[in-house]
Amino acid sequence: MSNRTTTAASERVAPLGAMGGSSLRVPLTLVAVAIVVVVGAVAPTRFAGDFVLRLANEGLLLGMLALSVAFLMNQAGLVALGAASIYGGSGLLFAIAMNDWNLPPAWALCAAFLIIVVYATVLGALIVRTNPLAFMMLTLAAGEMISHAVMLEALRDYTGGADGLVVSFKGTVFGMEAADFASPARFWVVMWVAAWLSGLALWAVGRSRLGAILRAVRENEERMRFSGFDTYLPRLIAYVLVNIVAAVAGLLHVLNAGFVSPESLGISVSTNSLVAALMGGIAGSVGPLLGGVIFSFAQDEFGARGLTQLLTGIAIVVFIVVFPRGVVGGLSSMAWLRKLAFGGRRETS
Amino acid sequence: MLKIENLSVSYGSVRALSDVDLEVLGDGILHGVIGPNGAGKSTLLDAVCGRRRPVAGTVHYRNEDITRRSVAWRRRQGMARSFQRTSVFQELTVHEQLHLVAQHLGDNRLDDVIEVMDLAGYLHQKAGRIAYGVQRRVDVALALIGRPHLLLLDEPGAGLSAAETLHLFEHLRDLVRERKIAAVVVEHDVDAVFACCGKVTVLDLGRHLATGTPQEIRADHRVVAAYLGTAA
Repeated sequence: MSNRTTTAASERVAPLGAMGGSSLRVPLTLVAVAIVVVVGAVAPTRFAGDFVLRLANEGLLLGMLALSVAFLMNQAGLVALGAASIYGGSGLLFAIAMNDWNLPPAWALCAAFLIIVVYATVLGALIVRTNPLAFMMLTLAAGEMISHAVMLEALRDYTGGADGLVVSFKGTVFGMEAADFASPARFWVVMWVAAWLSGLALWAVGRSRLGAILRAVRENEERMRFSGFDTYLPRLIAYVLVNIVAAVAGLLHVLNAGFVSPESLGISVSTNSLVAALMGGIAGSVGPLLGGVIFSFAQDEFGARGLTQLLTGIAIVVFIVVFPRGVVGGLSSMAWLRKLAFGGRRETS
Repeated sequence: MLKIENLSVSYGSVRALSDVDLEVLGDGILHGVIGPNGAGKSTLLDAVCGRRRPVAGTVHYRNEDITRRSVAWRRRQGMARSFQRTSVFQELTVHEQLHLVAQHLGDNRLDDVIEVMDLAGYLHQKAGRIAYGVQRRVDVALALIGRPHLLLLDEPGAGLSAAETLHLFEHLRDLVRERKIAAVVVEHDVDAVFACCGKVTVLDLGRHLATGTPQEIRADHRVVAAYLGTAA
């Protein structure tokens, strides 16, 4: 305390959230990302069959849902168990908007998206104030309410009840016809781009001031309040943001499948997304997306052996023991991989 | 600066503070609050900063009744506090947390705080990995950001040696005097309080026992009987 030398400290330290690195690193990273995006979008459609692409598409859809779950866990310390109600709900609303409200496909998409975002905002406004455990239980309760409401006999004319709803449309949505969305190869490009955009968007939010505030609130909410921060609004914004990603995934799912079933709103989809997030790793965007793909291929493999539940359980235990921080977290902690990715520099945040 | 009238706080059926009156002037003087364990010292700070709602009485801050105001509102109006148990962001670096708060409160003189609390050597370290004594300084530094008008410091010397506590108190005394702000310090280290505080309030069993200069408090037979008997 006695050393009162002037430090000009803030001039010597990087601002919060700064990327750091030399001036060359940023353009090189952008070039590398661009190459991965283009090659990733095109190569599988040339070399992989429809079956593999279908599994990959399902994996990325689950991965997007896992991404939304993981972001909220990692940044805000909140576990949402009702992600499927947003995912399946957006698809169901899309089908209802077209079948019952006779909206054109593009308008039906917008209507479904807006309704689900308003629902998420209202729900979030009510539940993000609670503690993490209560939040988890409330998302579970809200999700279960929605999935059971869909099955009500009184709503069967709208929701299709246990039979679900067929979604078919004429014309185009974003320049693509229904057959394009149903084609595994064409849909792969859409999914690939959507996954990248979602991942980049949430990554950018995580690196922004909002991300820093969310992490600080997660860690010490009381200190944040005593530092003059509103701790409610940032969590509400985060909750709405992740539900936007879940809603987009749900809409893409129904465009691809041409069908929305009540199972897509159920707890099993929510828990699958949670498992995918944990398998891939929650500390970033790549992990949950990769976790979704791994989960999808693993489910197919386990299903072929007729032991889906048993092998899934074993796989989850093994993954969490071997990779407690997920596959991506585990790999990135390996020295040689870190050196390859960061040029020997340790990532600081 | 701060005027507390008939303040009472309860934890269920237990009355932690009863009809406490206290006035703190913004005259650049450290105002110490001492008393035995369970006297209600930390509860007093909790009620002033909005962490705990009083069951009776009022808190006036800068001539405004703030009894029902939120914690965040009070902080934005220049009332800051540190905690008995260090309350820093363990996973953020020292600089990240100081910068985050400084940015939010629009304080562009973060260097002053870093210098005063001698934290320049720890800026890049995560707060959870630095020594407890340094974490205490980070805790106080977080309270100092935004040029508060009123500082509420809950046992800033907890976990520090007697010499370190005295040193910290000297720094705080100079800072408060320099900035002509008000500061209320709850502390068990009576020597540090008497050495650096211009005014001292004594609480006992949730009641106000005495307020005066250190000399007056030392001479007060009620205080000696209730608290200082062994320490004085």
